[in-house]
Amino acid sequence: MPQAEPVAAVPTDAALIAAWQGGDEQAAAELVRRHARALARFLASAGAPEADLDDLVQETFIRAFRAVGRFRGQCRFRTWLLTIGGNVLKDAGRRAKRATVVPLGEDVRATDGDPHERAVAGEAEGRLLEGLRRLPRMQREVFLLRAQQGFEYEEIAAALGTSPGAARVHYHHAVKRLKEHLQ
Amino acid sequence: MRHDELHDAKLHDLAKRLGAGAAERLDVERTAQMVLARLRAEPRVSVVARLWMQPAWLKIAALLVLLLGSGVVARRPWRAGAPGTATVIPVGEDLTGLSADQLREAIHSLDQPLAEEGAGSVDAGLEGLSADELRALLHALES
Repeated sequence: MPQAEPVAAVPTDAALIAAWQGGDEQAAAELVRRHARALARFLASAGAPEADLDDLVQETFIRAFRAVGRFRGQCRFRTWLLTIGGNVLKDAGRRAKRATVVPLGEDVRATDGDPHERAVAGEAEGRLLEGLRRLPRMQREVFLLRAQQGFEYEEIAAALGTSPGAARVHYHHAVKRLKEHLQ
Repeated sequence: MRHDELHDAKLHDLAKRLGAGAAERLDVERTAQMVLARLRAEPRVSVVARLWMQPAWLKIAALLVLLLGSGVVARRPWRAGAPGTATVIPVGEDLTGLSADQLREAIHSLDQPLAEEGAGSVDAGLEGLSADELRALLHALES
């Protein structure tokens, strides 16, 4: 009877962070592989144009790796990373406003990419994006962290530096306004 | 399932689908290599440089604070070190505990700056005086 191959232990985020702090570049690369898509989804939903998505993801990871010494494990690495992504997006929005070339958020849905895919994305998604764009930043981020990423209020509160009760209130306000917008 | 729950579930479902296409199109391996390359190429930004990268209003505010601060520091030793500066008695200080001699000394110290100020004010605005007036002033000072 053939013996099952031993399953290699998957290093935790904490182990990868410690390895990166010790100078292991591949640990940083593994963290990018692990969280880049979730981050991209979060940023795209929060209003990042697809053309800028790659740059914003890179910038978020750079900031996170540089500031990782301040990450105390108060929440998951991914939650912390997404909140940094929110700051990066806000800064990019400010720069875009100053440049006044293409105002960020004019159309948060991708204007490039496969036209067929865009067509089938559906009106509801477009309306939700539009509704999200109109929300205050805190409500938008709490909603996305909860509804899209599936985090608990305690986790969200720890990442955003607020209380679980306040996070719950932000979420409910967001849901109420989004429902009104979708109807 | 209640209508509200159904609606919430639909909202969550929609939210989960948002950005999925864009995320799928992201070349994760390339992103990872780009991040590593940038980490190698861009040195850590110093605290001073990071401060300098803040918005302009912050720089202006910081500059104002520095100017005001240095102004205060520059004025302090000049005032403290000025010769003949009278002792300042705080207005609210209770004088009932002082002896007669101490009170006399305090009154004397209050008189002093007025006399000095009177003499010092001669320096100011001399250019407006005529030759006769200047002569009279010099004479008054000598006597």
